[in-house]
Amino acid sequence: MAFTLMLEIRGTQGRHAEAPATLPAVSDPLDALERRIGELRGEVRRAVKARQSTLARSLRGELRKAELAWDDAVSAEHGDAPEPAGTPSLLPVREQVHQALALLGVPTAARLVVAVHEAFFAGGLSAGRLTSLRRDEERSFRTAPFSRPYYLCAALTDRLSPARGLLAVSTWPLEQRIVGPLSHRVDFLVSASRIAEHLGRLTRAGEDAPPGALRLLSRMAQNIPGAVERFGGAEPQTVIRAAAAELTVHLEADTAGRAGTAERAARQLGDVEQLFGAATLSHAQRGA
Amino acid sequence: MATDRLDALRGPVPPRPHDARAIAALAANPGCARRAVLDAAGIDKDSTARHLGFPAPFGQSRFAITRGDVFEAQVKANGCAGLLRLLREVLGLPIPLVAYHDAADVGAHLRHAHTRALIDRAARDSDDAGTFYDHPLLSLEIAGHTSYLEPDVVAFRLGGRFHIVEIKSFAVIDGQAEPAKVAAAARQAAVYVLALRRLVEELGHDPGRVSHEVILVCPENFANRPVATLVDVRRQLAVLRRQLARMTGVGDLVSGLPSGLTFDLAADADGVPTRPVAELAEAIGTVAARYAPECRSTCDMCLFCRDEARDEGSTDLLGRHVRDELGGVAGVDEALALAEGTRGPADGQEEIARLLRLADRLRAESLEPAR
Repeated sequence: MAFTLMLEIRGTQGRHAEAPATLPAVSDPLDALERRIGELRGEVRRAVKARQSTLARSLRGELRKAELAWDDAVSAEHGDAPEPAGTPSLLPVREQVHQALALLGVPTAARLVVAVHEAFFAGGLSAGRLTSLRRDEERSFRTAPFSRPYYLCAALTDRLSPARGLLAVSTWPLEQRIVGPLSHRVDFLVSASRIAEHLGRLTRAGEDAPPGALRLLSRMAQNIPGAVERFGGAEPQTVIRAAAAELTVHLEADTAGRAGTAERAARQLGDVEQLFGAATLSHAQRGA
Repeated sequence: MATDRLDALRGPVPPRPHDARAIAALAANPGCARRAVLDAAGIDKDSTARHLGFPAPFGQSRFAITRGDVFEAQVKANGCAGLLRLLREVLGLPIPLVAYHDAADVGAHLRHAHTRALIDRAARDSDDAGTFYDHPLLSLEIAGHTSYLEPDVVAFRLGGRFHIVEIKSFAVIDGQAEPAKVAAAARQAAVYVLALRRLVEELGHDPGRVSHEVILVCPENFANRPVATLVDVRRQLAVLRRQLARMTGVGDLVSGLPSGLTFDLAADADGVPTRPVAELAEAIGTVAARYAPECRSTCDMCLFCRDEARDEGSTDLLGRHVRDELGGVAGVDEALALAEGTRGPADGQEEIARLLRLADRLRAESLEPAR
């Protein structure tokens, strides 16, 4: 469900991104495009009839591209330039952050949330709007606990205090929201492979990989041993393999540490503290 | 006793805390008594210079600060992922060592205590120790006042020793960086090394476990990709130690000053200084300065001292090298008179007088054809 939504939004953004390449001067390219769309539709129908699903899928991809190009050409002809990228999304900030976090699946710093959102989803999300988010969510939870389907909450450190600057989702199991000493690295590797997986998913669905997402992945892959050649961008499959290789080194110790802390948190903390962390004063001495 | 005198010099305002940059600047000009006294007393040099009419064109530009912050955030992002790569590539840090502790997780009021606890745990048993300690807060006692210092990152586990990591945004181009900037970074890092050594010693461990090699992280060439270099700060440490020892011995300097002397700005209720400028200038003038052109990048009082040196015709203006060459000659006028032969050399000045006359002749000869 959420996935379809993402694809649709991504589609809108892709249209804007492609605009400059396909600006036609006259109506001829439009006619050509319409002919091409007609042909493609016919081919898709024949492929589906012949149960050639692979062919049908790739043809559908081409059809979608042609339709997008047609959209751009029409709007360009009427002189209404596509909206600039980074227009504010219609979704509330918390929904946008949730989208990005659902993709990553680990507690994430605001900076990376913004980068992921920029790379994959439509609309600009500015880091400034994330600063008070956790506090607002906490206030909402305190006034009416569990009245929303999810809350954007804190990750907990091994002293059960809220970890600085990390955002998490309340529906995740507690141990997923714990950050021990090794978790920063583990979470970084996991988020890199999640981004790579999502890129692979988009490519398989016949979409172009968003260039911003590839750049983001290359940037992250620089810091994973064996994930990227000295020159050139990152290859999603290579990144996934390299991240998995390093993960095997850290994962066991990290999981054990997280489970222990999660168990302690479940025992010692109330509902609000489990989501938003315990005040540091009362627990700082205990953890030392 | 000395503390009372210093308080009297400062006037009824709280002392200014020192940051690492200020402490490093102390080490930059160890011979300056004026700076030593003003700093020991915790005097706000910036407003003093401003009130004297010599505001220093000083401090980093807003853009440079933003750029520095962005670069630091980039290196430290995702649990120091960028720094980790550098340490693995440059220093051969093994793959399993990735533990990251954030000393700021406990809230600002406990940061120093938490840093102590973390460093203690690291020095005690190396099994549980982290590799990175982010946002540490160290303290250093300077002339009776505790200053709090924030190194960028402390790295541990490189051969069982603590390393200070200093992230700077000036570029290393083709393996070369601007020497003045590297020197400033090294001095600043030396302050952190000293503070961390004091902490480790206080906790009952060997201070030698804090390495004198600091890790300097800078952008490489013209891109924003970070690169790490090891910088040896032993020399800066020695200078700093000597300077701090002098500051504790600042009592000698202060006891030589006339009693009743104060650098108080006599600020009114709105914080506007009301002290007559001439009176303040005279008071400051009683403590000898040792101006050098380098002061202009490290000291708030630089323009005042330069003006003073100009009025006196002092050779300090010409830089340390010239001043040292002209040892025994007090001022520019005297040096010129010796060179032109209008004044006979005093005892012990024969050698320098000969050199000056030679220089004068060479100058005259080289200017001759132009006339």
